[in-house]
Amino acid sequence: MGALVRRLGVYLLAAWVAVTVSFLLPRVVPGNPVAGAVARASQSGNCNSPCVKAIEEQLGYNVHTSLWAQYLEYWANLLHGDLGHSFSENAPVGSLILSYLPWTLGLLGVATALSFVAGTAIGTLVAWHRGSWIDWVMPVATFFQAVPYFFLALVLVLIFGQTGTMLKWFPSLFGYDIYVVTPGVNWPYYESVISHAILPVVTVILASIAGFIMSMRNQVITTMDEDFVLVALAKGLPARTVVWYAARNALLPVVANFTIALSLVVAGQILVEIVFNYPGIGFHLYDALGKLDYALVQGIFVVITLVVLAANLLADIVYVLIDPRARQAA
Amino acid sequence: MTINATPISELAPVPGPLPVPGLHRARVLILPRSPKVIAGVVILAIFGLVAILGRWLAPYSPNATDTQHWVRRVLVEGTGPGTNIPANYYPLPLPPSAAHLLGTTVFAQDVWSQLLSATQATMFVGLLAAAIATVLSVLVGVAAGYLGGNADEGLSLFSNVFLAIPGLPLLIVLADYVPSAGSSVLLVAVIIAVTAWAYSARVLRAQTLSLRNRDFVEAARVSGEGSLRIILVEVLPNLVPIVAASFLFTTLYAIGAYVAIAFLGLAGSPTSYPPGLWNWGEMLREAFANNAVRGGWWWWWAPPGICVALLGTGLALLNFGIDEFINPRLRGAGLSRRAARKAGINLSTTFGLTPVIRPAREAADAGQSSDGMAEAVLEIRKLSVDYGYGDEAVHAVVDCDLVLRRGQVLGLAGESGSGKTTLALAALRLLRSPGVVTAGEVLFHSQPSTEGPRQTIDLLAADERQLRALRWSEISVVLQSAANSLNPVTTIGAQFDDILRVHRPHLSGAERWRRSGELLDLVAINGDRLRSYPHELSGGMRQRAMIAMALALEPQVMILDEPTTALDVVTQREILEELMGLRDRLGFAALFITHDLSLLVELADEIAVMYAGRLMERAPAASLFHAPRLPYTHGLLHCFPPMHGARIPMTGIPGSPPDLRALPSGCAFHPRCAWAMPRCREQVPRLARLNGSSREVACWLHGGEAAVPAELARPDPAITRRGSRP
Repeated sequence: MGALVRRLGVYLLAAWVAVTVSFLLPRVVPGNPVAGAVARASQSGNCNSPCVKAIEEQLGYNVHTSLWAQYLEYWANLLHGDLGHSFSENAPVGSLILSYLPWTLGLLGVATALSFVAGTAIGTLVAWHRGSWIDWVMPVATFFQAVPYFFLALVLVLIFGQTGTMLKWFPSLFGYDIYVVTPGVNWPYYESVISHAILPVVTVILASIAGFIMSMRNQVITTMDEDFVLVALAKGLPARTVVWYAARNALLPVVANFTIALSLVVAGQILVEIVFNYPGIGFHLYDALGKLDYALVQGIFVVITLVVLAANLLADIVYVLIDPRARQAA
Repeated sequence: MTINATPISELAPVPGPLPVPGLHRARVLILPRSPKVIAGVVILAIFGLVAILGRWLAPYSPNATDTQHWVRRVLVEGTGPGTNIPANYYPLPLPPSAAHLLGTTVFAQDVWSQLLSATQATMFVGLLAAAIATVLSVLVGVAAGYLGGNADEGLSLFSNVFLAIPGLPLLIVLADYVPSAGSSVLLVAVIIAVTAWAYSARVLRAQTLSLRNRDFVEAARVSGEGSLRIILVEVLPNLVPIVAASFLFTTLYAIGAYVAIAFLGLAGSPTSYPPGLWNWGEMLREAFANNAVRGGWWWWWAPPGICVALLGTGLALLNFGIDEFINPRLRGAGLSRRAARKAGINLSTTFGLTPVIRPAREAADAGQSSDGMAEAVLEIRKLSVDYGYGDEAVHAVVDCDLVLRRGQVLGLAGESGSGKTTLALAALRLLRSPGVVTAGEVLFHSQPSTEGPRQTIDLLAADERQLRALRWSEISVVLQSAANSLNPVTTIGAQFDDILRVHRPHLSGAERWRRSGELLDLVAINGDRLRSYPHELSGGMRQRAMIAMALALEPQVMILDEPTTALDVVTQREILEELMGLRDRLGFAALFITHDLSLLVELADEIAVMYAGRLMERAPAASLFHAPRLPYTHGLLHCFPPMHGARIPMTGIPGSPPDLRALPSGCAFHPRCAWAMPRCREQVPRLARLNGSSREVACWLHGGEAAVPAELARPDPAITRRGSRP
């Protein structure tokens, strides 16, 4: 268990850093949130200096307790699931995020899983048939890897989206058809959810698959130079067995680097949700930024970090399961 | 694009003479001149020029608005003439025209001018952020890798924590709080760098760690150089390619991040106060916020997006070049593809099937070369092997003849790089790209132990199916490192099972398992070990298991390529004795490849010596050992002290093995030969039979022109005691 416990320690530390950053930032640089609240207050009348002071206290930034006491209170709240209050939605941040999370996790989970499986398969094929026409996958993948997620989303909306101007095949706004179906356990709702997810999922897959293709291809090529692949050929094993030998081993570093890949996919998806007005965490983060709802922004940051850390831990567990050497060490 | 995280030291050298970057000197970053790299450089150069000159190329100010002339205006229905409401218009941007190359925005701004201006800002922020992040990652990575211990623990933890926190959300929170972050380019770059340095730091730490243990760094440390000096002089120069790769990678990330936060409106807008800079993300944000997609105004939002993608592609292509420089395996056949096509080779089919492009051969005499000795089982005739194609080709094996006789051991000796392994792998068509067989025949005279007809097969003419059936069941291979030969992620039992399932399809699962256990027994390993993974066995056990695997199908021939070199002397001895015992019991013939001549003398019936791709001497083992005829063999023999007998000075061979790409003229050995004559510099000696013996040598000293040196004219024990060996 040693290795896994170590990783868990890193993630706990990362979670602590994220929470602490989120606690300290508004207290060290309170300018923006206070200015935002003052601006709001000013809409209903002049906000003089006592008003500003009151706002600061209300936001919890300029209170008379010590920073340490505030920190402990912040943690206590956090552990009770209290992430503060969102003024723009007038609801607790925790419950808001809980309602956004399924959309994001669904999109992220489906897109990442498909992208990983297809990407590693294609990467293996490209490596195996290196030198044939399939090499053309590489420049194309390079281009797609460099395209920003949200730009790709815009292009897909233009071509396939119903809010675009060309084919108008798929819905390209919101998570479901808010005017027609009622959320709940009913088929039309599911159908609407699925059809609305197609373009965002395709966007995330197209933008992220290139990374998996390229890293898998490079790893398989490197692995194909290993002696055990040469020996597998010398054993007269059929091609598919030899490919499996190489791919199975090449998968290890790809899974080990999943952390970095996931971090990029999450970043991309935040922007994709914005383009599609998809009701997940990313879109609401954008929304909260625009409305200067700092409590919500912070809460979303903490939750995204926790979700990514959990996914990393999952990847580590998978790694330990597929590498006997790590299994022994673990 | 990936930064390959494998430390250079863990990469096995590529087969053949592909240049592996040497680490002893600082490496100059010479990128492979592939189309990919050239395309990348061209793209980057164009963007660089635009970024520098953009200001002057722009026909208008990026902020200039001319709502009178630069927008179409559409009358809002129900207003204007005919109604009693004053005319009300809504603006539409102009599509591309001669006056506005990329049309205008809905605010009547020239998109082309904005794009030029935005290119400058985007590239500047991207490069600045990448530079900051790279400095940070070099500091952390090199310090962690070089200092080790607690410093390493702490710094690695620090970078791992940063790596685990998702970058963009952190970036968003930071940019959101820092007051007017957008107005300060430096601040934006610093914030991006904070989220970008960790991955490179991890890669650099791994590299530094592997460099730290290299001899030349060790040597510098022993000689009392200070840590800082060692890092600056010995370590950093060797990290240049990795640093360059991570700089490009980080630039790509930084540009993406800058565009992303600008798209979110966090990098400052040119219209806000204090004003930010025009950049690609800001252009996309304005277009998106003003419904440019719905309006079909592609000229507004497509160019900045395409610019991001193009610049990213350029960076990635250049990074490919560096990746291939760092990891030559990735380069492999890539560069020689054109040459290969010219030579008529389809590279995609060469894996596990070395291509043969020999000239139309004369009617082959498939029969045995009968010379009164034991019957041949594997005959290699006039085999030539190249690495590379056409003009790039390096001749790794030239014109080699070898005969392996049934039940005998043929030793193949020579320094590393002499072509021994290349010869063996090429004969089995296992040589990897860019290896290619250019001439010769490899005849396998099969006489299966159980059933099947006697037949002779030219392995160089066989197709993949034939070869696959023959491989392992008739000719098996044991390589130097069993640790590398065994698949690390499956059990020993599963690897036996793979062999038996393919070659003995009639066996049931239980029978295969039992047979695998018996085979392990044969090499004195407990059958329980079938459940073990390779890493759970000791080095000696792994090699034994590999030998058991090689015996699994009772092959007629076993190729042993330095099978014991990686083991300690005691284990080496045990395994060799076991191997020879098995040979006596099972009667397979073995081609034993080694650089250790003294080892061969005990094992081999006959020994062949290779130098620079050519066979130079061939003789019965005892004759070769006690009475070498070739100066090179003489030199090799004096590299290893005898265990007993008179003391003789160890002279070794001066100089180093030749570079196959630039072989000396004449006899390749002449620059290192104590007895070289003028003729040796001019003419290549051919392997020729010596008078009155069964041995052959390729050396002008025995050409009859000069007196043979005494060292090379010792009495031949095979002649004095003829018939003492079979």
